[in-house]
Amino acid sequence: MAEKKILTKDFGAPGLAHLAGYEQTGGYQAYQKALKELQPDALVEMVKKSGLRGRGGAGFGTGQKWSFLPKGVYPRYLVINADESEPGCFKDRYLLEASPHQVVEGLLIAAFAIGCNLAFIYIRGEYLPQHEALEWALAEARQAGYIGKNVLGSGFDVDVILHRGAGAYICGEETALLTSLEGYRGEPRLKPPFPAIKGLYGKPTVVNNVETVATLPHIVSNGPDWFATIGTETGKGTRLWCMSGHVNRPGNYEMEMGAPIRELIYDLGGGVWKNRKLKAFQPGGASMMVLLPQHLDVGLDFDAIQKAGSLAGAGAMVVMDETTCMVDMCRRYVEFFHHESCGKCTPCREGTFWMTNVLTRIEEGEGKAGDADLLLEMGNNIDGRSFCPLGDASTWFPRSCIKYFRDEFEQHVTEHACPFRKERVMVA
Amino acid sequence: MAVATDQVTLQVDGVSVTVPKGTLILDAAKKLGIDIPIFCSHPKMEPVAVCRMCLIEVEKMPKLQPACAIPVAEGMVVRTLTDKVKQYQQGVLEFLLINHPLDCPICDKGGECPLQDQTFQYGPGASRYDFQKAHFDKAVPLSDKIVLDRERCILCWRCTRFTEEISGERELALIKRGVHTIIGTFNDEPAQSVYQGNWTEICPVGALTSRQYRFISRPWDLDRTPSVCPGCAMGCNIQIDSRHNKIGRFQSRENLEVDDGWLCDQGRYSFPYFQRDQEFGSPSIRRDGQLAAVSYPEAVAEAAARLQRAGSSAAGWASPGATNEELFLFQRLFRETLKSPHLDHRQQGIHETDPEDIGLPIADIERCDHVVVLGGQEVIDAAPVLHLRLHKSQRHGVAVHRVDEVKAGLAAVPAEATVVGVLATAARRADAITLQNQLVSKVKGSVRRLIVVRGPNGRGAKDLGILPHLGPGYAVLNGRAGRPRAEWPKAGIRALYIYDASPLQEFGATEAELDWLRSLDTVIVQRFKPSVLDEYAHVVLPGRAFPEKDGTMTSMEGRVQRIATGIDAAHVWDDWRILQAVANAMGAGWPYRTSESIFADLAKAVPAYAAAAPAQGRVLWGER
Amino acid sequence: MSDEDREVDGKPDQPTPLRGPDEGVPPHPEGKRPSVAADITALATGLKTTLGEFFSPAVTLEYPEDKSPRSERYRGRHYLRRYENGLERCIGCELCAAACPVGCILVIAAENTDENRVSPGERYAKTYEINMLRCIFCGYCEDACPVQAIVLGPEYELSDTSREKFIYTKEKLLEPLPPDVQARLDSKGPK
Repeated sequence: MAEKKILTKDFGAPGLAHLAGYEQTGGYQAYQKALKELQPDALVEMVKKSGLRGRGGAGFGTGQKWSFLPKGVYPRYLVINADESEPGCFKDRYLLEASPHQVVEGLLIAAFAIGCNLAFIYIRGEYLPQHEALEWALAEARQAGYIGKNVLGSGFDVDVILHRGAGAYICGEETALLTSLEGYRGEPRLKPPFPAIKGLYGKPTVVNNVETVATLPHIVSNGPDWFATIGTETGKGTRLWCMSGHVNRPGNYEMEMGAPIRELIYDLGGGVWKNRKLKAFQPGGASMMVLLPQHLDVGLDFDAIQKAGSLAGAGAMVVMDETTCMVDMCRRYVEFFHHESCGKCTPCREGTFWMTNVLTRIEEGEGKAGDADLLLEMGNNIDGRSFCPLGDASTWFPRSCIKYFRDEFEQHVTEHACPFRKERVMVA
Repeated sequence: MAVATDQVTLQVDGVSVTVPKGTLILDAAKKLGIDIPIFCSHPKMEPVAVCRMCLIEVEKMPKLQPACAIPVAEGMVVRTLTDKVKQYQQGVLEFLLINHPLDCPICDKGGECPLQDQTFQYGPGASRYDFQKAHFDKAVPLSDKIVLDRERCILCWRCTRFTEEISGERELALIKRGVHTIIGTFNDEPAQSVYQGNWTEICPVGALTSRQYRFISRPWDLDRTPSVCPGCAMGCNIQIDSRHNKIGRFQSRENLEVDDGWLCDQGRYSFPYFQRDQEFGSPSIRRDGQLAAVSYPEAVAEAAARLQRAGSSAAGWASPGATNEELFLFQRLFRETLKSPHLDHRQQGIHETDPEDIGLPIADIERCDHVVVLGGQEVIDAAPVLHLRLHKSQRHGVAVHRVDEVKAGLAAVPAEATVVGVLATAARRADAITLQNQLVSKVKGSVRRLIVVRGPNGRGAKDLGILPHLGPGYAVLNGRAGRPRAEWPKAGIRALYIYDASPLQEFGATEAELDWLRSLDTVIVQRFKPSVLDEYAHVVLPGRAFPEKDGTMTSMEGRVQRIATGIDAAHVWDDWRILQAVANAMGAGWPYRTSESIFADLAKAVPAYAAAAPAQGRVLWGER
Repeated sequence: MSDEDREVDGKPDQPTPLRGPDEGVPPHPEGKRPSVAADITALATGLKTTLGEFFSPAVTLEYPEDKSPRSERYRGRHYLRRYENGLERCIGCELCAAACPVGCILVIAAENTDENRVSPGERYAKTYEINMLRCIFCGYCEDACPVQAIVLGPEYELSDTSREKFIYTKEKLLEPLPPDVQARLDSKGPK
């Protein structure tokens, strides 16, 4: 089985990162079609019909999200979330680098669909080359008249502001992103009101992922019915999977929704490296629950993965071979969340700090009997209790690890050492 | 049913309650007497739901919900006592305490600390946390008034939100992130707000404490007395917390109509002025150029004899920091006993007054649609807590115009304004009236004014006729008017009785006046603390400070409020008793035994005060 | 008979005599006649206990020269302890005063400064007084103390000559400085 390329089908075409190259592959045709032939409402209906779900992590229906905007309240804003900071996730980077115009075109279609005249792109602070690529793309699009007043004579005014983040994971959360964009400390806001009602500067706002908007030109060009034929019943289209870890060929792979995980890891990724056995994998990046080899035949799709006990998240497949110490993985991940916790709410601020301490203690061989249960209880007090999903997500991986690898935790405690220390290899 | 639509009925712990739409679950539960523990939530600030202490179960919602941030909905079923909630409450308190130093024994908040109380009530009893706590700076001087302990801080954001939402100064901010988050000012510069004392009151832990109150007392040792702030004419309600008959601190005694629960630092930290930290001398008489200590009766007799000699050429100045009862007797002493009309409570300026000056009650500022602050910062400086009310009004959509000129004030208010307020200090009262009259002809709605007078009882002094030209209740003295203080040196005055009741509103003599004092036959000084006037006095009558006496004060909006005795100073005569003794030595025959009995007579002389007698009412002159 | 009646009679009450004036000594009961031998035997029986105790070892202590031992947990006079470096343990938290059921402890706290460091941390007791006349030696103050500063010692001879002397001040309650600290302070003092 091979990849099914929609977003990446023209990748590698000469000059794709620039307007001329992009237009040669049919770029901005969809945008022009949308402006000339379609009404904003029809576009929203089209996206709804296509069954496109947000690629940022939560998997919420994009068309549905757009339709939540209150009628008649202007201005309204579109914010593209390019603050891709989930460990193991690098699809937006790829999309922005290889074909920034695809993203810009999708953004403009979305802006037209929801009646937004000022759109924002919030890009991760560390994505310097991608920022540059986008800046170029925006300048070219502006020059070509795709951005500006009365675009192509359609009466549609649009402008795009590109904003670089300052390097906080929390700003990937949509409300924290909006707060940061407004110039405040990057901290999540109380929901409700949801951004669709009261978002950026208190105005109705749609926050979409890079990959989500990059899909839009293809839906507009080929029609929603075509898109709906791809994928599964509840997950339409294709997705970019960022595979990393102990595989022979890590990288981005675009696959049809519902393709089995086995295909991704073994056919495309070339299997586990160094002829080792697969121990576990994470389908959604650092925050998502771990899955075992027995789940290899689960389809790569929001609902199927959720049924298996994890979440597809932002589509980051982290593969772990048999030499991986799960306690150390937990420690490293939770340390990351502890470092990135914004400090707004108690459970996340204090809980991740405490969990890091306990996991470090176990990994260093100083763990106490009952530490695993302590972690579970702490996780229970954080998950669903913290202000935003960062806190919740910090507990998912360790808790699933304790579920599947409890004896590994116990072994650390009873042997007063990490059994993997000798042969451990750093996880990418 | 129009009424039914803005009411919502919900169930909390099995009990039904009907509350207005938009009420938060927390307040609906409070209405039923169900306490939901909170840290970050504050009734005067927007909900933020950061501490996560108030999470409760709401039927049909999978996650626990913050009661402080979720508005009620029709048919909502809330449960606050389930095992899930209780187990979580223990969990969040355990989280809060892992990095809290638990130095309660040396913490000034210990004993009145919400974190302590709620840990006791809802906490786990023991912690499973057995690592090093995260350490931060302790006893950081945030300013000369406030000490910050960063270890104790639980990051509830109340103080930062106060500076943002209540005072609008945005002086405190969160710095760094995660478990390393701290509270601080920009660049660690000393905080400059004049509302810092409020931070210590809203802090749910001992992170922000007052330097003045540092280690003075434990809360259970304090005697608490209701009183009114002696700082300015605002009339903020305070509680005098004292230990061993010494004032420890002033705390706010929330009165939503007046102070909205806040105090300014000028008032809150003014108590050292009223502290009897030493003896302030006995009554004394000047003999051979020296003040000689005598008993009260001797000093009173001397004062009476000297005053009687001066008769109607005696003048009396009373501080606007004295109580209504004292001022009433002072006024009677002069007008009735000495038949002298030369009374004043003002300093150099000659500010007119009339009952319309209290046309706009403080709380009504929120109900205006335009408020003109004539003089801007000058008005705020005269009554700092007014700024908080103005800022609150502004947040709720009232247009507040801070202007210097009448012209600018007139221009700022559009013609379609319906309720307009004008604020000014007594010094600019004439301008305020000009502006008011011009506004009345410009706008279609009503225009009212509020004049910020000097002294906590400046209004009372005017109401009770401590003025040369107006008697009690603004009675016009046809042809019998006296001369204002500024004219006394040239008015043939032979004796001067200075009742210098408050160190905050002193007589404040100019150089020229001091020369005049030296030339006078008789200067009688009744005061709390020794002052420069003692040098010029022929008779010194030591009286009490405001925490040591009881009576009533009238704030600038005409609200008559009671102050109670918090500090015992039995060896010093009450000021009204001194005044009565002086008058009786001249044959006045006053029978007062308590300040209440004086108030009864006062209410007869000024009928508007009768309504205020039993409670803390408001004298609404404008409504007569 | 009421008081009023008595006044009317004018006669004071007289107790009824046990024996009438004409009644003689009752006759000796029938039986053995008294004998000297029996009297001496009775005397010796009585003296046996007395003399036996006289020659047995004494159980009383000759207080105040001799003193009985105190239990380790005896609750006598209070002491305020110090750390080994000479700093006072007491942090002036007033919890002893709060715990005291008779209210005999007065603590007034103050803040440590770098120039005048009395105890570790921020707070110390500027005034620490116990009214020994009121104290009931319950030991609650010791229980309440979070830093084990106040302890009840074995000393129980607290009699004194005036009430004022029973107000034990901090100077009286404090343990002496450890010898090494005292020596260090002495060596630093003026020569």
